[in-house]
Amino acid sequence: MEKNEKKLTNFDSEEWRVGPKAFISLAAAILFFSGIMTGFDGMKWLSAFDFSTLIGKFGTVKTLGKDTFVGTGGLGARGGFMFALSLVPSVMLAIGCLEVLSHYGAIKAAHKLLTPLLRPLLGVPGLTGLALITDLQSTDAGAALTKELYDQDLITKKELTIIGSWQYSGAGLINNYFAIGSALFSYLTVPLLVPFLLMFVFKFVGAMFVRFVLNTVYKEDFKNE
Amino acid sequence: MSNGVQAKNVSGNPFDIFVIGARKGFNIAINNLVPNILMAYAVAEILNLLGVMSFLGNVFGPAMTLFGLPGEAVTVVLTAWLSSSASVGLAANMAANGMLDSRHITILMPCFFLLGAQLQYMGRLLGVADVPKKYWPLLMLASLLNALCAMIIMNLFFA
Repeated sequence: MEKNEKKLTNFDSEEWRVGPKAFISLAAAILFFSGIMTGFDGMKWLSAFDFSTLIGKFGTVKTLGKDTFVGTGGLGARGGFMFALSLVPSVMLAIGCLEVLSHYGAIKAAHKLLTPLLRPLLGVPGLTGLALITDLQSTDAGAALTKELYDQDLITKKELTIIGSWQYSGAGLINNYFAIGSALFSYLTVPLLVPFLLMFVFKFVGAMFVRFVLNTVYKEDFKNE
Repeated sequence: MSNGVQAKNVSGNPFDIFVIGARKGFNIAINNLVPNILMAYAVAEILNLLGVMSFLGNVFGPAMTLFGLPGEAVTVVLTAWLSSSASVGLAANMAANGMLDSRHITILMPCFFLLGAQLQYMGRLLGVADVPKKYWPLLMLASLLNALCAMIIMNLFFA
């Protein structure tokens, strides 16, 4: 931190020059925050550009013993905030456990075992295997582990993007398929495992596609890695 | 900053190590997860108010025949992009009303998850893991291709 010097703002400087963009954004700010955009009858879509509409609402606890503090029917920023808060403990628990397990060498072991599989298929080191396996159970924990790997300089930007794509399509696969998909299992005309295995294979297909594009179209971006 | 100093002086006690990790997890959750999900929910609200999804439904409905699905199934596919559970709920509803049969559900099954909740997972996954935003469209394209190819395979070989 710098010392507490008091600097006077120079309003004639380059920073304070006002172009057309500035006036447009001021107009947008006034429209957005003033509440005008909700006032037109029959043009409800305009409220998509209204601040108080996008704040949304908190969910309400309707069913005691079933609803959590998140409630049901939350919308917009408020709905998203409560939902996000409900995910915080799983990320904390996952990173806490990973910290302990990697202290005893779990990541090194994963690296040794999985490199022969993951290097040729996805071009990523085996130590990402733990993040990939975690993603099958929990999207949030998998994402947090991935960030940890990158922050510790264990993987490059390109490897981060490739394993990000593996996780992104069919995230939290085991949990989601059996928790959410089970509502439709009675309709399936094939064994349960067929769609599951197909999705698992496609996670690799998608990541290999991304790897290919990164190696060709975006080749220049990764010259220094 | 004092947290960082503590982290260096710590002994090999697994409970201490856990707490350091949990603290890291808290920071990731608060700094990455919460702002990104908040944004995703606001965007979902905008798309909803602007009627973007129903517009796309009208445009892409006819293309559903490629996968052996009726035109109405397009709403299920588009909803999957916003939320897996919402699209499964919608499909269950349509199946109960006879708009989709068990063959259609079987074809759609991989799509619910391969395309599932991309908007939300932008925040929960790509935002948290700090995947560079430049490549997000590529990752979305890959997921979309995954879902479409999986539906074609289900249609041709399994359903």
